Amino acid sequence: MDGRFFIIAFHEGGRIQEETWELVSFARRCGAADPAMIVLSDEGTIEPLADELAHRTGLNVVGLAGNHLKGYTAEAYISTLVPFFRDTRGEICITATHTSRGIDFAPQLSVMIDACCITAVEDVGEGTFIRSLHHGRFRGEVRADRAAAVLTVMPGAFAPEDAEREKPGKVRIVPAGDISLSTRSHGTRAPVHANIGLTKAEVVVSAGRGVGSSENIRLVAMLSSLFPKSALGATRGVCDQGWLDYSHQIGSTGNTVSPRLYLACGISGAVQHIAGMKNSGMIVAVNTDPCAAIFRVAHYGIVEDLTTFIPLLVDRCLKRE
Amino acid sequence: MKILVCVKQVCDSPDTLLFDESAGRVTFGPHTVFRINRYDEYALEEALRIRERLGDVIVDAVSVGPPRVGRTIRRALEMGADQGIHVRTGGDDCPGAFERAHLIASVARGRGYDLVLAGIMAEDDMESQVGALLAGLLGYGCATGVIFEELSADRREVSVEREVEGGSRECLALVLPCVLTIQSGINTPRYPALSHVLRARSAELECIEASGLAVPPPPQNIVRILPPAEGRQGEIIGGTAVEKAEKLIRILREHSLLPR
Ligand SMILES: Cc1cc2nc3c(=O)[nH]c(=O)nc-3n(C[C@H](O)[C@H](O)[C@H](O)COP(=O)(O)OP(=O)(O)OC[C@H]3O[C@@H](n4cnc5c(N)ncnc54)[C@H](O)[C@@H]3O)c2cc1C
Ligand SMILES: Nc1ncnc2c1ncn2[C@@H]1O[C@H](COP(=O)(O)O)[C@@H](O)[C@H]1O
Repeated sequence: MDGRFFIIAFHEGGRIQEETWELVSFARRCGAADPAMIVLSDEGTIEPLADELAHRTGLNVVGLAGNHLKGYTAEAYISTLVPFFRDTRGEICITATHTSRGIDFAPQLSVMIDACCITAVEDVGEGTFIRSLHHGRFRGEVRADRAAAVLTVMPGAFAPEDAEREKPGKVRIVPAGDISLSTRSHGTRAPVHANIGLTKAEVVVSAGRGVGSSENIRLVAMLSSLFPKSALGATRGVCDQGWLDYSHQIGSTGNTVSPRLYLACGISGAVQHIAGMKNSGMIVAVNTDPCAAIFRVAHYGIVEDLTTFIPLLVDRCLKRE
Repeated sequence: MKILVCVKQVCDSPDTLLFDESAGRVTFGPHTVFRINRYDEYALEEALRIRERLGDVIVDAVSVGPPRVGRTIRRALEMGADQGIHVRTGGDDCPGAFERAHLIASVARGRGYDLVLAGIMAEDDMESQVGALLAGLLGYGCATGVIFEELSADRREVSVEREVEGGSRECLALVLPCVLTIQSGINTPRYPALSHVLRARSAELECIEASGLAVPPPPQNIVRILPPAEGRQGEIIGGTAVEKAEKLIRILREHSLLPR
């Protein structure tokens, strides 16, 4: 790809977000000759952030600094980036991760700079970008039809490129000026529902909406009780229904677990759920739908109705003992 | 105070979709069932709760799509929305996020909405764009992934918490008018009351033809639909249900995951 390629690096508490290194390999996959990194922060913290990026990627880094960038808000990012990109001519591609922040500011930025906006990109085609539809049942191949593009890239879709470079990139700190915002940031609150037992369990047996009712949670709990050091997990869908409370939720906005065994019962396998359990040692899934996305990450898949299969499984287990 | 809630109709049964791989197209099958996008149900419920708290609030529901989305707008009326707006498109499918946002923006302009609520994501295309695009087009502030909101007493500001990775929450305050995209779990959506169901049955929807609204050419276009990505192929355990259970037990015991 010709023109300029920019990677927006998010950070929190002085640390660069891990997915940033994945964006570097995404840039390479797009054939970007000389991608540049952009980091936004207040004057007190911008330099170490920019330096870390320059050292770990070898790419040139622009640090946009201003007091309005102390805490993240979409408005602060957009009001800083729009003037920065205003004078860029020709093809330009701006990328960020498809995380809560990427989703928050990328579409608005695309409107302001008359760019296309392609979100949750998972792969690169020939001059196109590929993204999931219907929770991975299909994929759409999308072509950018404007000179400027704003892309968000799905976390985990590209391997991180992260090696200390012999030659760090150049760092340029650019004062973003005094920008007054109508949005006020009030900081971050810690998760309301942390569940220590869940993250320490050796076996996690999880319920998805496929259990069908709060009564059937009992089946999943019964299965879980077969294993010592086990815990009961759930999808967000199950917690939203009130069938289990949110401390059981596993996924991008819940707990992250990596037990020796993860047993997914009636779970479709949405990316946001997979994000929280994909590093499990062995993944077993029970689902009535042979095309469910969960079977693509499962080591063993069983196409059965869980309401009949779990009782059978539990029964066979106990009989053999 | 006026609130606009964006509701999308999505297919409830993706396994009934017909996929023509050579043409790179997906079409709806004869058994495809449609329903309101779940996140939009949460958005609508939040609007109804604001109306109940404040009193003098009008809640409009808008949907862009072919004639069949009229059913989803009626569902919004059954839940309690005051007025339904249908931006009718041709064909059988919804246009892309860019066009949808432009169409909704052209309807919303000049109607003085103080608050626009959308879902965080449509469950079918999973783009998470329309709400934020709409904010850009209307010149409104925006917060996505909202899991808590509270309007200030003077109704000039809204304090929100956005849910971020790991379940932390970013707290911020926006001035009105603004767009919020709603995350699931912010409330428990109600079941329609019978009186609302009856009213919705006879209610007139405001129908606007999309072809009459000016939308710039879309900046991105779907070239074709592909089958799912080749993934790590695990083993699908075959046989009768009993055989499957016994094989799984054997595997788990071999890996010392299940006591003998
Ligand atoms: C910003 C954001 C963050 C999110 N964070 C999370 C998160 O942290 N964790 C999370 O889990 N989700 C999260 N989600 C939601 C996620 O996108 C999915 O909606 C959710 O994971 C789906 O849950 P589910 O698999 O239980 O339900 P569904 O997708 O409804 O799947 C139910 C499955 O059960 C199967 N089934 C039905 N009946 C049976 C039966 N009798 N026996 C066996 N199988 C059956 C069906 O075939 C289907 O595959 C998030 C979404 C967003 C937008
Ligand atoms: N066709 C549509 N009609 C009305 N609202 C829509 C439509 N498409 C998307 N939206 C709204 O935008 C949100 C996000 O959708 P998306 O950007 O497509 O993921 C949805 O939850 C809806 O609130």
